[in-house]
Parts: sequence; structure tokens; C-alpha cells
Amino acid sequence: MTGRRDTTGSAGSRLLGVSALVGVAVLLLFAFVLTDPDVRVHPTTGEEFGQFDAVRLLYLHVPMAVLTYAAYILCAAASVGYLVRRTPWWDVTAYAAAEVGTVFCGLVLVTGSIWGRPVWNTWWEWGDVRLMTTLVLFLLFLGYLALRRTTVDPRHQARRAAVVALVAVLDIPLVNRSVEWWENRTLHQQSTLAELKIQDLTLFTLMLGFVVFGLVAAWLLLHRFRVGWLEQAAAEHGVAMAIAERHAELDMPDVDAAVGDAGDGP
Amino acid sequence: MVVVDDVGGVEPLDLTPEASRPDRSARRPWSVLALVLVVVAVVFVLLRTLGDASLFFYEVDEAVDRRVELGDDRFRVVGTPKPGFVDTELDGRAAVVFTLCVAEVSADVAHMGDPAELFQPGVPVVLQGAWVVGTPPGIGGLTSAADDGWYLRTDHMVVKHDNDYRSDEAELETCGAGS
Repeated sequence: MTGRRDTTGSAGSRLLGVSALVGVAVLLLFAFVLTDPDVRVHPTTGEEFGQFDAVRLLYLHVPMAVLTYAAYILCAAASVGYLVRRTPWWDVTAYAAAEVGTVFCGLVLVTGSIWGRPVWNTWWEWGDVRLMTTLVLFLLFLGYLALRRTTVDPRHQARRAAVVALVAVLDIPLVNRSVEWWENRTLHQQSTLAELKIQDLTLFTLMLGFVVFGLVAAWLLLHRFRVGWLEQAAAEHGVAMAIAERHAELDMPDVDAAVGDAGDGP
Repeated sequence: MVVVDDVGGVEPLDLTPEASRPDRSARRPWSVLALVLVVVAVVFVLLRTLGDASLFFYEVDEAVDRRVELGDDRFRVVGTPKPGFVDTELDGRAAVVFTLCVAEVSADVAHMGDPAELFQPGVPVVLQGAWVVGTPPGIGGLTSAADDGWYLRTDHMVVKHDNDYRSDEAELETCGAGS
């Protein structure tokens, strides 16, 4: 095997990886050093209030949430592609997108919970629609990933997973719209960007978060796809080798000759 | 072992069936277990959510309208605290008494335990508790109390933060007289 085949990296993916790494460092600098904490002075009591340093999680939590949607929608689109075309490329893409989406979704739940403790006064609120639909989304895709490993038959695996992805992705509109549909019944705030209730360096850092986590997601997706493709190629190679072995076992010239001799009888 | 040794005089041929190859549709037990755990987790979350959803969620005006009907039932109530609160004791436990409002409707609250860190007048909160007939201790210290012979006795408080990140333009919720 050549050096190039020993790794899932390439010049392009290395450039992407370095860009993502530098981007993460710059984002952390903006998020945790250059932007101000959210501190307001109460007009009646004169006391300081606001989110204080907890606001810094906004720059990580919101971009990761949007990229969770993007990854799961890509998974669903690739699943449709697989069900239509039945080629491994679509299946490997769907699998890679589901894994990346699940990593981001898990981080969204963790960062949201860490933010919720000081701001909401709770780590978790069972009755909140946004929280619950997000947790269900995470669990559905964990189920998708577990389902992919329940059978060794790649065609069964791909077909079942594609159907599950298409069902699971239906939760995304619920997650996204829950804060509008149940506005007075949910603890989670409404969209800040939709009403542009954000400005200056706070807005810039949030936008930077989208770009940086977009690069991270693309890098993860690329490598996970390449690993998946190699796994698929290795499985095919294994099958081809097994067939070749069987052919070799059956390829007995002496027997052929003997059968041929017997067949040449009167 | 099944051996055919008389085929045209060639070497004996072993025709013993080979051990079967792994079934390609075989299931992987640990993955099946993981899948079962995920399904159990989803069911748990849904049951927990439905259980919690059975705790009705009212705004203050709805809660006031329905207080006779609600009786001793626990429910969630969302509203905006008016300025002023009193630290007091209720049934031997620390409590904070304040007034919650929405639009022009107010209700007095005795919250058992410490309030949330970000508890402030004008910042909406979601409380869990039930109606009690009577007057909470220390209500005389509130300038704009409802003081209507009912109060909400609550034990769970979360702050409903707004979505405004323009710190210089942030506006507080206002309602009722004296907000």
C-alpha cells in the first residue's frame, strides 16, 4: 500500500483541518476574552443582572445546534439517495453525517445544560419542549448508529438505517419551531437571530462560530466519509477474497480430469 | 469423514461438509443491547415528558381565573415579578414573598427556599406550586401586592431568560401597577 493510502488525509483535508484548528483558537479568543460578559444594571433595583460569563456559551451552543440540523438533514438526504440509487457512496455519506451530527447534538445538550444552571437555575427541565425534542433527536440518532451495527449484512444495514434516518429527521422541525409554537409554554428563549436582537462584537463572534464549526464539521465529515469508504472497500475485498478462496478450493484439475475421463466412457 | 477414493484412480477426495461460514445476517448481541437501551431511553424520555406535561402551565391571569377549579392541584405558572420582595419564614422554612404579574393581573407568591440567582423584578420566572387560601407572611412589606386572600405557595423556580443580547437596549418586562 502506498503512503497516500495509509491515511484518510490529503492536501485539501489537511488545509481544512489546519483552518479549523486555527479557527477554533480564534473563536475561543473572541468568545472567552475579547467579548464582554452580559451584565446589565437593573433600572429599578440598581443591581447588576444578566447572564454574566454564561453568555459566552452562546458562541458555541448556537452554531453547534445549527450544524446538528445540517448534519442530520444531510444524513436524511443521503438516505433518500441510497434508497433510490442503492449505491454505497450514499450510505457512507449518510453514516458519516449521522455520526458528526450526533457528536454535535451531544455537545449542544451539554453546553445548553451548563448554560442553564446559572441562567435558568436548573441543569435540565423535563417539561421544556425544546429540550425534550432535542434529547429525543439525539436518542433517535444514537438508535440509528446502534441499528447500523446490529447486523453484519451491509445491505440490510444500509436499508434499515436509511428508513430510520428519514423518520428521525422529522423531529428537526419540532425542535426548531418548538419555541415559537409553544412560546408561552417553554423555558427556552425564542430565536435571537431571527429578530436580530444581537449586535456588534457579539454578533460577529456568533457568526465566526458558524464559520469555525462549519469547518470543523466539514473536516470531521470528510475524514469519517473516507474511513467509511475504506471500511466498505475492505468489506468488499474480504468478500472477494472469500469467493476467490472458494474458487481455489474447487479448482482441482485432477478431479476435473477424472470426471472428464469418466465422462468419456462408452 | 466421507471419502471417495475410486474416481478414475486419482487421489482420495474429501467430501466432508465444511463448517458453515458466519451468517451474514447474524446479529451482534452488544449492538442489539445498545439499540434496546436507546429504545428504553426514548420511552423513558417520552413518559417523563408526558408526566411533566400533565403539570399544567398557566400564565398568571389564567391561574387566577382558574384558582377555584385548580384547588390544591400543582401547576406551573409563568409571570413577571414586580419590584420588591420580602425574606420571611413559612412553616419554619425560609421563604421569599413577592408579587407575580402579567398584564394587569397580579398574584402573591410565597416561594419556599432560595430564589434563583437571576431572580429580579421584570425578569419572567416559571414557578411550580399550588394555590393556598390566606395571606402569606410579610405581605405588608410589598408596595403593590395583590392581597386578595389567595397566594401561590411554590417550591421550584426557573428564570425565563429573554433572547435579547443587545445589553444597552434590553427592556424589562413590565406589568400591573407599580412595575
